[in-house]
Amino acid sequence: MSRRRRARTGWLFASPALLAITAVTVFPVLFSVLLSFADVRLEYGGFRILSLTGDHYAAVLSSPEWRQALAFTFGFTAVTVLLELVLGTAAALVLERLGAARGWVLAVLLLPWALINVVAAQLWGYLYNGTYGGLTWLFTQILGHQPDILGQPASAMGAMVVVDVWKTTPFVAIVVLAGLMLIPGDVYEAAEIDGAGTWTTFWKVTLPQLRPIMAIAVLFRILQAFGIFDLPFVLTQGGPGTATESLAILGYKTLFQNLAIGRGAAVATTTAVIVITCCLLFLRVFKAQADEGGRA
Amino acid sequence: MALSRRTLLVSGLAAAGAGLTSGCAGKPLDTLLTQAAQVPRTPATLTWWVSEIPSRKGPVVADLIIRAFERRHPQIRVRKSNALSATDSNRAAVTTQLAGASPTPDVYLGDTTWPAQFGSNSLALPLQTLLPKDFWDGYPAALRRVSEYRGAVYALPFFTDSAFLYYRKDLLAKHGRPVPRTWEELVRTARTVQRAGDAPYGFLWQGSVSESLTCNVAEFLADAEAPVLDGAGRVALGGAGAERAFAMMREFTETGVTPATVGTYVEADSQDAFTGGRGVFLRNWSYAWGNAADRSVSKVAGRVGVAPRPGFAGDGPRGVSCAGGWSNFVNPNSRHLGAAVAFARFCAGEEAQMILLKNAGVIPALDEVLSRPEARAVGDPTLTGVRQLHLVARPVQSPYYPEVSKALYTRANAVIGGRTTPAQAVRAARADIRTALEGRAL
Repeated sequence: MSRRRRARTGWLFASPALLAITAVTVFPVLFSVLLSFADVRLEYGGFRILSLTGDHYAAVLSSPEWRQALAFTFGFTAVTVLLELVLGTAAALVLERLGAARGWVLAVLLLPWALINVVAAQLWGYLYNGTYGGLTWLFTQILGHQPDILGQPASAMGAMVVVDVWKTTPFVAIVVLAGLMLIPGDVYEAAEIDGAGTWTTFWKVTLPQLRPIMAIAVLFRILQAFGIFDLPFVLTQGGPGTATESLAILGYKTLFQNLAIGRGAAVATTTAVIVITCCLLFLRVFKAQADEGGRA
Repeated sequence: MALSRRTLLVSGLAAAGAGLTSGCAGKPLDTLLTQAAQVPRTPATLTWWVSEIPSRKGPVVADLIIRAFERRHPQIRVRKSNALSATDSNRAAVTTQLAGASPTPDVYLGDTTWPAQFGSNSLALPLQTLLPKDFWDGYPAALRRVSEYRGAVYALPFFTDSAFLYYRKDLLAKHGRPVPRTWEELVRTARTVQRAGDAPYGFLWQGSVSESLTCNVAEFLADAEAPVLDGAGRVALGGAGAERAFAMMREFTETGVTPATVGTYVEADSQDAFTGGRGVFLRNWSYAWGNAADRSVSKVAGRVGVAPRPGFAGDGPRGVSCAGGWSNFVNPNSRHLGAAVAFARFCAGEEAQMILLKNAGVIPALDEVLSRPEARAVGDPTLTGVRQLHLVARPVQSPYYPEVSKALYTRANAVIGGRTTPAQAVRAARADIRTALEGRAL
């Protein structure tokens, strides 16, 4: 069979999958991007594109709501990803040293991760509830007055970070644990022979070996955290004020509540562009550092 | 390989372009209205998008209405599609279907704040030409105002929600206090009861960043006779009246009469706290009576009274209440427009309204049924008290109402939480509303 014919057969077999991907991924994404440039008018039984315009982007980028949502989303992503990376790595180091109990501890650790996001958010919502919440009661006992956990910007953001870290740290721990188990034992033996202490071994041996897998974990987390929707939707509806209104919540409100189709699509598209750019920059910086490390 | 990628991209763009152009096919309104004017003689099945209607006696109220309609129209079957109760989530779900030109649901129960937005976006059929001239005579004028947009009727009345002041009869009697006629009197009474340790909270209401807070703000503004929009639909919010309304909300939280956490309360939170015996006063919709009086869910059943909301000192109680409620809309893409209109009209008619009166924990929209002996027999004081109320419409005549509402609730929420002053909040809300009305807000 000629190479060309083999290629044609390959394309033929792949075509159903490609068509499916085009229908459920490529088409909606491109359609959404096109809508973000369109002045859309809904009509009975259909819709009409009145013109193509860049006005939606001008409106979105100059809007204080968008800038506020961007700031919250960036802040939330940075804080949660950093905390989850540190705590997840620490948990992975502990897990690696556990013997027979590792399986049980892993199972318990994975429980928050296994919970559906909305369910987890609702459970924490009960704990933070201003009237009957267990945590509100606890803080009232400690502080001597009833705290307004979800009603003030700083504490609402803090509360949201706590839930996200509680829920997602196990994911980072599992990924880092997999990386730890792949580090060959003779590397540690060599470090020991060279007289390296525990901290030196961790900083000079373990961490550099873990960097590729940590990069993957961080990338996954940035992508997820930047699209945060369910936590603010369930816990605060974006409040107090607009303090916890993420870009995803803003896009949802613009599109589905305000029925501003073009503008909602513009919010979604700018969010996607920003997160992809962040991920590419992260990968570039990571690759540059890895190359530098390799040369050293 | 490069060629393949290019081919894929071009195919994707072509498909997206085809999607755009294929979506352009609209239908002429005249054709739709002609279909809507005829009740079909052939079998038809309708889908009714309906959230849970609070029930007083146990049976599912929507099913009772459907069965009554099917008895009148044996050729038409109605299937329920269960919708969410929260207005905003409900709207997001139904607009996704409607904007995608889905023929179902044929009829959908929607909030009375939706007509302008849905009408301007062609998501609801204009019904005024299908109604008799005296149709609105039997319904509250405020309900008619919120159902219309630019002279067209987009929603047919079903039931209304009206706001009342619920109070603890036992605690007022213990402290020898009358039902407060003014907000200032309410604060004093609440403080007295709280200081005596009889209730941790004085006045419970809804302050979360949602439509719930907009209703409260609209009522306080109406108490202070401060309009949000003027007659021409331009922003009118401002001045001493508006600041007085915002300052009152702040005073409640500042004095501890209302818990600081009210900034996260929706209706259910305030109601739970009140029925749990933690509050002296509660502002809530008429349906809350059912739960407050139900011994299985309320610790204070039998000790609750209902009155119109107070007013400001000097004005006395005006019984201001938002014109809330739910109405039926007809999907213009329905394949059974005649049957859909017949069902929506049936729900607004006497037979369905009597079913609501006898079974549902809501106020029927048809005024006339409220004066019948059956209304008194039900024993729900909100049914007999609703006629004393002064119903006020939110500024829902604008197709940008969701953005206007957001401007009000985000700024008011900041006042409640003490993050801004009433004067600053009023100025900021005014600026936000102006931006919203210009179609520039997100």
